[in-house]
Amino acid sequence: MKSQSRKFLRPVMRESLISWCLFPGTIILLLFTLLPFAWMLCISFFTRPDFFNGADSHFTFSNYWDVLSSDSLHFLDFVKNSLIISGLSALLSSLIAALAAYAVSRLHFRGRIVIPLAILAMSMFPQISIVGYLYQSFSSLGWINTYAALVLPYIALTVPLALWITLSYFMQIPLDLDKAALVDGAGRLKTLFKIILPIAAPGIFSGFLLVFIQCFNEFLFAILLTIDYHAQTLPVGIALFEGTHGEIPWGNLMAASTMASIPLILLALLFQRFIVSGLAGGAVKG
Amino acid sequence: MLDSHQSQLSENKIRSIKRYNSNDLVTAILFLSPVILFVSILIVFPVIGTGITSLYRDVSYLPKSFLGLDNYKALIFSPDFRASLVFTLIFTLFAVACETVLGLLFALLLNEEFRGRNVLRVVILIPWAIPTIVSAKVWKLIFEYSYGILNVIICGLGLSDEKINWLGTGVTSFWALLLAEVWKTTPFMILILLAGLQAIPRDLTMQARMDGAKPIRRLFTITLPLLRPVLLIALIFRTVDTLRIFDLVFVLTGGGPGGSTKTLSLLGYEFFGNDRFGMGSAISMITFLIALAITLLYLKVGGFAKQLGVKQ
Repeated sequence: MKSQSRKFLRPVMRESLISWCLFPGTIILLLFTLLPFAWMLCISFFTRPDFFNGADSHFTFSNYWDVLSSDSLHFLDFVKNSLIISGLSALLSSLIAALAAYAVSRLHFRGRIVIPLAILAMSMFPQISIVGYLYQSFSSLGWINTYAALVLPYIALTVPLALWITLSYFMQIPLDLDKAALVDGAGRLKTLFKIILPIAAPGIFSGFLLVFIQCFNEFLFAILLTIDYHAQTLPVGIALFEGTHGEIPWGNLMAASTMASIPLILLALLFQRFIVSGLAGGAVKG
Repeated sequence: MLDSHQSQLSENKIRSIKRYNSNDLVTAILFLSPVILFVSILIVFPVIGTGITSLYRDVSYLPKSFLGLDNYKALIFSPDFRASLVFTLIFTLFAVACETVLGLLFALLLNEEFRGRNVLRVVILIPWAIPTIVSAKVWKLIFEYSYGILNVIICGLGLSDEKINWLGTGVTSFWALLLAEVWKTTPFMILILLAGLQAIPRDLTMQARMDGAKPIRRLFTITLPLLRPVLLIALIFRTVDTLRIFDLVFVLTGGGPGGSTKTLSLLGYEFFGNDRFGMGSAISMITFLIALAITLLYLKVGGFAKQLGVKQ
């Protein structure tokens, strides 16, 4: 009898096990993700990080002002370097990936299947097994502490991901579409830029965003291949951020951290759809 | 992975493209050459170069000389290296296990329909988007001994009589690193597994539910087996990524206290920093080989090759 009633009732209501888990699960997830972030924001607005101990600490904007106005911190230099390096890498990586994705999805040649797989396999190499050799090569070329020393490796590191995402979009575009253009006498490049790219724009864009964020956050290459604020990126700047008096200036540091994170968080929240589809496309569809 | 696309391009379609493409090969070479150039010059070459350097005594203050496998032998007998290897492997095991379990639980949660689900899906992107260095600094402040919020909470709740020196001992540093790593990377797991869950047809689970299968049973008999390919890819990505962990450890513990949390990447970085490229390269090659071995192991255990065969 019991199983009979279950059969009729359960499909209508949510099962009790699931509904019991739903509320606490949501709260735990929310707290888990937001608390550290909230703490960073909170400390960035206080003069001392131990205000809850009854220390003389009060609300202030001065941390932000200190970081932005200090000449010795070079915060704005780091921001500039990061934006240029990540932007340039993401742009070139997307472009190169689009060319390759066109070839793989549209052209008939031997090794069509092997090439994207081989390129994807390249992203499996640990960065540490690349960076030492690059450090030696770039040293002898005199490239250490230049934008090129980061942009070039970043393109190579991110192009597998960009190719994979772009390819999954190109594959969904009907072949007849660009075939018509080819028959009309348009060249391959023209077909790619005038027909395929506009249709696959969301895919290219999600690839661009993911690559940009990846480059913006990269640390190992950035710390080994740069020396000072002429080429150091934000993560390096923040990692090496130290106070002048020995004690860590947590307020300033959290203000700098907040300013470094806000652009990325905004990108992630605004273009959530593209990022999720890019991440998921890489794993699920790919 | 690519086979589904390949099957979309059915035979006759491929044949019909062929007619327009007398000089496809030339175009393909032109279009693919930038990717191949970048990847070979900046990834393949350096990896081979690292492999070669690892066979040499390559330090700045002595002439370069061939050593064969001596660097590797020296590493195997070095307690520092062995400690680093063990730490890296155990940390990877714990981190990936925690991420996978939490990621799966939260993905299942977000796969249910409830109010606020879309907000939650957006919010979980925050840890993912924050630069690792920034999150490492924030966690460092949270774990801080005298005024870190974690100690304040723990003492406030009466869980511990005295403050815990989180970053002061090897064991607590391990847990601190684990918490920070899991916080940063679980969102990736959630998003990927969620996408995998959404690809599972609703009818299947509904049908099982009508037949009286309870949620736990449905999870193990229907959802998880169907999720396996996605789970496998997520596991490979996360394991390879955690094995080479560098930035979080660099900032949060700096490899300390007393070298107890020094990962392989950190050890390699220190050798490079001291201009000892031969040894650094040997460590890098070992890291690479471990990552490769684990990937192959996953593929074998996950029956990935078999699956590819079935589909084609």
